[in-house]
Amino acid sequence: MLRTSSEHLARIALALVTLAVPLAVAVAWWGAHRSTSAVTIHGRVSEAGGWLPGTLRAVVGTPLRLRLVSDDVVHGFAVGRSDAAPLDIPPGQVVETTLTFDQPGTYTFYCTRWCGPDHWRMRGVIEVSGGQPAAPEIVEPLYESLGIDIDAPHPASALPSVRPSAERGESLGIEMPEGFRSRQDFIARPPAETWQSLRLDSSTRGLSDSQVWDLVAYQWRSTTTDAALQEGQALFAQNCAACHGESGGGDGVIALSTPVPVSFGILEGTALSVPQGIALSVPEGIADAVPAAAATHLAGEQPPSPADFTDPSTMLGASSALLQGKILRGGMGTGMPYWGPILTEAQLWALTDYLWTFQFGETS
Amino acid sequence: MTRFHRLLPYVGLATLAVAGVALVGLPSAVVRSEGVARSVRVEASTFAFTPATIEVDPGDRVTIELASADVVHGLHIEGYDVNLTADPGQPATVSFVADRPGTYRIRCSVPCGPLHPFMSGRLRVGPPSTFWRAIALAFIAVAVGGLALWRKPAGPRVRLGPA
Amino acid sequence: MMPIDLTRFPFVRSILVARGPQLAVQLAAVAGLLLVIAAGLLGTPVGSRNPATVLVWIAWWAALMIVAVPFFGRLWCGICPLPLPGEWLQRGALLRPRGRGRGMGRPWPRRLRGLWVQNAAFVIVALFSLPVLTQPRLTALLLAGLVLVAIAISLVFERRSFCRYLCPVGGFIGLYAQAAPLEVRVRDPRVCADHTTKTCYTGSADGYGCPWLVFPATLTSNVSCGVCLECLRTCPLDNVAIRLRPMGADLRRSAPVRIDEAFKSLVLIGSALVYAFVLLGPSSALRAAAAAVGSPSWLAYAAGFLLVTVVLVPGLFLAATRLGRSVGRNHLSAKEGLQRFAPALVPLGLAAWAAFSLGFVLTNASYILPALSDPIGLGWDLLGTTSMPWTPMGGTLASWALAAIVLVGLAWSSRHVRAVAEDLAGGVRMAIPVWGFSFLVTAGLLWVFVA
Repeated sequence: MLRTSSEHLARIALALVTLAVPLAVAVAWWGAHRSTSAVTIHGRVSEAGGWLPGTLRAVVGTPLRLRLVSDDVVHGFAVGRSDAAPLDIPPGQVVETTLTFDQPGTYTFYCTRWCGPDHWRMRGVIEVSGGQPAAPEIVEPLYESLGIDIDAPHPASALPSVRPSAERGESLGIEMPEGFRSRQDFIARPPAETWQSLRLDSSTRGLSDSQVWDLVAYQWRSTTTDAALQEGQALFAQNCAACHGESGGGDGVIALSTPVPVSFGILEGTALSVPQGIALSVPEGIADAVPAAAATHLAGEQPPSPADFTDPSTMLGASSALLQGKILRGGMGTGMPYWGPILTEAQLWALTDYLWTFQFGETS
Repeated sequence: MTRFHRLLPYVGLATLAVAGVALVGLPSAVVRSEGVARSVRVEASTFAFTPATIEVDPGDRVTIELASADVVHGLHIEGYDVNLTADPGQPATVSFVADRPGTYRIRCSVPCGPLHPFMSGRLRVGPPSTFWRAIALAFIAVAVGGLALWRKPAGPRVRLGPA
Repeated sequence: MMPIDLTRFPFVRSILVARGPQLAVQLAAVAGLLLVIAAGLLGTPVGSRNPATVLVWIAWWAALMIVAVPFFGRLWCGICPLPLPGEWLQRGALLRPRGRGRGMGRPWPRRLRGLWVQNAAFVIVALFSLPVLTQPRLTALLLAGLVLVAIAISLVFERRSFCRYLCPVGGFIGLYAQAAPLEVRVRDPRVCADHTTKTCYTGSADGYGCPWLVFPATLTSNVSCGVCLECLRTCPLDNVAIRLRPMGADLRRSAPVRIDEAFKSLVLIGSALVYAFVLLGPSSALRAAAAAVGSPSWLAYAAGFLLVTVVLVPGLFLAATRLGRSVGRNHLSAKEGLQRFAPALVPLGLAAWAAFSLGFVLTNASYILPALSDPIGLGWDLLGTTSMPWTPMGGTLASWALAAIVLVGLAWSSRHVRAVAEDLAGGVRMAIPVWGFSFLVTAGLLWVFVA
């Protein structure tokens, strides 16, 4: 009968609608997640899981296709110690990229746009296998070969009365004495120590204390380049200013707004688990055991606020090698991240050079 | 009812209409050619702008520095084509002349979490004249509706539906 | 202006009586609902990019408040997908009646009738609304939950009990549908009086008895009629008509409305004020409190919300009517004053919600195309608009548009207030305090929208 068949038609239409939409969605979703050609990585703020998945595998020479999508705020994607430009990942939009590796090893990928106090923790790992493993490069950090304890306090043994100026130092027209001319000479000694030595040297006899400080500043400026300082400035703005402050005073917005004690430990081998259940292992290249200082900064204690680079009493007692070591290895129970897997050697030194502008740079 | 009485509602309506149009159309505060230079640091956090209201005079040269406190935020001012984006530690600055009087919404232009669509503030250039005009128009609206538009029913009211 | 009987046009009538076209639109609505739930559960958690939040709270809500309700009354209820699965199960058919379906068909409990349950449902949804509005998963869960509740209700109780007595949106739409120019009415009530079988209510082979539990012959307002068109199909005497009439005609009834309807009118105006102030106002702390459901600050916000909508606004209105009563020479009880003057607030309330929705949609409409282009967040670009940037449409013109809507609502409300005052022989003096109340509400809205 006509009437019955129109009801049946209607039911077929309903079945089609009811099944078509969920079916199409399910098939598409399943297809996308099953696809082996591209890996979908969801980016979330660290507190919500960080990169998911956080570990990837790749083979040397085979392109690794990634589909990156943010589930909450703006994130960025970059691979540490590589020269590929970072990618911005806007929330809810899929960004595709392809990585190809020449060397096997463990690579770290990380978030490049600030996404909260735990932004720096938003890191993942790519294990690349195959290919010819390069001879293992044992790079002993400079502070280790110099025997510097980067966790020990470093008060300056002498302080300038006036802010030193590299320009004034240059205009003095004095040649730096032997042992103070090279780059290595600069980065191995704290400025206060350099000042002490320069003060005692015969070539500075006619100079005032301030002028000798100007020489110290000039030593810094002459052993670095404009390009390095610019790169250091960019790196500082992107990675450090949020906690250390744009003017380096340790009063960055993130530091001011984070009331919760962030505690973690970085120990080689022994994965010290911390209250949040985060177990971190030491990045490649660092071989030392951890000083006891770490033990005091465990759960429940308020970490110290970020270093104040404008404070001469601590800065001038630190050598560039010490600063570079701290950046490389991280903070041992403070909130300071470890940048070893992220920044290249050149970048680390450029950043360290830039830090001296807070002591010696021209104030605008 | 005299012709005067019959015409009165229409005259009243017309007067009110003229007043209404005048209120909407009249130009507002005169733009001073030399405004003051003002500088504001706006801190953006989830999900607020601090300060939420920026008040300037027409003609001022306004410099806004957007400093983000936690994630990437944006600052967009409707009507002034101002668009800034700032990461924590990397504030962004824009400078413009506030030559258009009125109240303009400041909105976050970078999705920064669930309450992002409601993250807003205001830029007030000059006194909130639109608001006061609207208040005056509200008086007129009550007068129009309650007096001018209301008509005494001519005879028994026509009802809809059953008696 | 006489009502224009649309069903006198044969083409119109045949489209409406035939079940096919209505079902087609209903199926489209069901498809939309399924898409929204799927997207909400499986797609991106980012609210501005997921169709669940974008299509429901930006597109559908704005279309409802700005176009559908003011101009078409409860037409949405005729195609709303939420009760349909339950109704089809209950009826055992998609088209005309085919004998008994499932369902126990019990009458809705007497105690729970009226608008009180809907009032409460609306307030509860409103209190939890901020996380739901902004998170796709919660929107999907809310809609799926409503569907399941509607199915359960339909299998236990008769007809559209869910729609009539529970649906939080329904009470809202019904109240404001009174302002619309579209109505379903009988042509000649005397014909109904002589008709013994009353198939419009009891049903026949051609159609179901009014699912909204309304007796068409006594329909005098749009509040409870869900425009489902069954009475058009079941009336053997061609006595049911769909008509165009002047906007707000329902509000000219001289009889007082029921107290629950009056209260609903006030609760909705209070809610519009609170929503506008919380979501668009200057206090981000308040917004954060509204969003942090379950926290102590949210409890404080909830208390404030309830205080304003259930106590302050109705209290202020009561004071205004009382003042009017003493100024006029009428001996009305407080309750009757409420029941007579509250309907006059309908245009103002509708205008408040329409303006609020317009503001929101002007700012965020540019999210719609990107969300549709990549519905489950897999990186598709179906419409080519996935990367379309956010383009808010605001500025001075938008502010004036919002102000204009509110002012028109105020003018229209003032007219009705005057009409009620004249009915009660109180004249202008009786109207003035209620005008004052309306003016205060308007000033609050204008301050949020424009200042």
